[in-house]
Amino acid sequence: MLELLKSMIKEEWRIHSTLFGNLTFSFFPIIILVSTFLASMFYPIFSDLIPPKQLVVFLHYIFLIFGMSVGAFGLLGREVMNRRFGQVSLVAYSSRSLPISEKRIFLNFLLKDLIYYFFLWILPFILGIGLALPLLNLNTNIAFLLLLTLTLSFLIGLSIIFLLSVIYIHSTEFLIFFLILTTIVLTTLSLVMDLNIVYLLPTIPLFETLSLEALSYSILLILIPTIIGLNFLKVDYPEERKRFRNSLDSLAKKLGFTRYSYFISKDFIDLKRSEGGAGKIIFSFLFPLALIWFLISLFFRFVPIANPYLLYALFLGVIGVSIYNWLTEYDLFTSYAFLPVRISTLMKSKIVGASLINLISLLILIFLTAATGNLNLFIPALLCMFSTFLYILSLTVYLTNLHPHIFLYNPKVFLIYLALSVPVLVTLILLHLLSPLALLLSPILIPFSIFIMKKGFERWDKWEHPSY
Amino acid sequence: MLRCFEMEYVIQTRGLTKEFGKLRAVDRVSISIRKGELFGLIGPNGSGKTTMVKLLTGQLRPTRGRAKVLGVDVVKEPIKVRELVGIVPEQETPPSFLTAEEYLHFVAGIRKLDNIEERCEKWFRFLEFEEEKDILCKDLSRGTRQKLMIAQAFLHNPPLVFVDEPLINLDPIIQRKIKDYFKEFVRKGGTIFLCTHVLSIAEEICTRVGVIHKGKIIYEGSMKDLRRRRKRLEDFFIKLVRG
Repeated sequence: MLELLKSMIKEEWRIHSTLFGNLTFSFFPIIILVSTFLASMFYPIFSDLIPPKQLVVFLHYIFLIFGMSVGAFGLLGREVMNRRFGQVSLVAYSSRSLPISEKRIFLNFLLKDLIYYFFLWILPFILGIGLALPLLNLNTNIAFLLLLTLTLSFLIGLSIIFLLSVIYIHSTEFLIFFLILTTIVLTTLSLVMDLNIVYLLPTIPLFETLSLEALSYSILLILIPTIIGLNFLKVDYPEERKRFRNSLDSLAKKLGFTRYSYFISKDFIDLKRSEGGAGKIIFSFLFPLALIWFLISLFFRFVPIANPYLLYALFLGVIGVSIYNWLTEYDLFTSYAFLPVRISTLMKSKIVGASLINLISLLILIFLTAATGNLNLFIPALLCMFSTFLYILSLTVYLTNLHPHIFLYNPKVFLIYLALSVPVLVTLILLHLLSPLALLLSPILIPFSIFIMKKGFERWDKWEHPSY
Repeated sequence: MLRCFEMEYVIQTRGLTKEFGKLRAVDRVSISIRKGELFGLIGPNGSGKTTMVKLLTGQLRPTRGRAKVLGVDVVKEPIKVRELVGIVPEQETPPSFLTAEEYLHFVAGIRKLDNIEERCEKWFRFLEFEEEKDILCKDLSRGTRQKLMIAQAFLHNPPLVFVDEPLINLDPIIQRKIKDYFKEFVRKGGTIFLCTHVLSIAEEICTRVGVIHKGKIIYEGSMKDLRRRRKRLEDFFIKLVRG
């Protein structure tokens, strides 16, 4: 049991350190620590804008989403690994060749995620806050409490997504029914019973008042989904080879308006037929978007000068880039290296593909405009969403090539990414506070984004993949 | 400098070198291959065969030296080279979630070919995998994937094809078919650059061989010459490599 866990942790480390070496990757937790330390030191300046109580809520939900994204990637990502590193075989998928049950392997898989991400992210994150607390004359016990409650939030996210993934594997219809039912229940609790549903995440009341009741509730919320998930776990090893009619040509014809029609068609087919199918979009795109709307609308209720609608447009732009990440996860340039294809050609095709899928964001924005009666703010919101999307995408392209999920773990890359993205996002947030119409200035980002993208294409076309 | 490259050669290199850190994978290789040759680059595992193919097709940039393929400088115009030639890579597999048919259509689409259906059907028939063309590439046997990689390399009727260990995983019937096709291809004026460590294949079909060992070409000569000297390629190779 312990050997299996050790192997999985080693495997995870090697996956991440493959492209930029052990030493560089080892610095990643230090970067996290320094970043949260600095953010904590500067927090008093912003404390009027974001009061501590709201910040605590925000942090716990961020860790909940983080747990969900780690879980979704791990459980749906076997094919991702194959495309990223060639034909790989992870220990997690070896239940057929090892004398160990699937349930035991996946339990180890969850434990591995907890241990690995605890040391890589959670611990350095909280240590950074903990080091700043005495300098801010605050009680250092807060750090210990955060260590407990944020770790539990991460675990709740991990176990919930594990359960949702298992439901999805059994029945997509049931998952949709389950999600709709949950939404109805939460809305009813919030609107009809006037319950503050933010506090349904038990780690928040646990942080505010350390009680056995809240702790038990948190642990139950981890254990119940995990146990149900493990009991209904189904790992398919289909013996039958599925046959498909050629859908590439018709799709490429429909996408004939772009010169990358064959690449984009292949990507869309990959997304549809690979593990998780459309579930990947639900888990990594639509689900966080719904959660962020929920958080923004609750969180900024207390900040009267902020406009949740415009802030959400900004987040739509940021989250939209995750589609580029997904599209790149399914490709390895070495699969194209023997064809007359440049790395930049592949990158451009992913950019066009991600932009097409992001029409969903536009529909969401239109829907929200109608639902919130913000027609007068639609143009600034649209420009803000589009400019932010393009800018963050250009940074991703320039800094991470076709490997965002790997290169962002390079401390140097991560720092540059933060240094170039955070100030721009903060400026946009401040601009909207000054006046919503100030966001009409956001297209200033477009020429910069195009310039950065072009530089990115030139840069990566000269790059030689280390796996050669 | 350009004058040293002669037009009658489809492949010409001068001092071609590739280093990966301290490892020199290809060491000052200078070779010339004429149109219509079936050139076999043979060598032990890790001797630099695959690196040579990647250098000659612009997939890797040389550390030093130069190379021209079909008159095109591989460093300056790598995409042009890959537009012109066909490549059967040693390890790469087709995308998992396309069917065999979709993959060939995908390659044809990227190469902007006409008569896609007709071109692909010809290869499905010839390599006898019509029954499997609607199966996802990930579910195909290794042999069928290899057939697919061979088909994609010849789809655009290239004048020069690089093939890296092309017959591994194939059954004897298909192996024979492919060997005959290669011979016919060069007879009609095409050129094949074949990398292999299966010496019997090289002995059977190559017109000329080069032996690469630790990145250096240690022998270059025609198969006719070897036969005239009544030397079996296997004995000759082992003697050369073992020193």
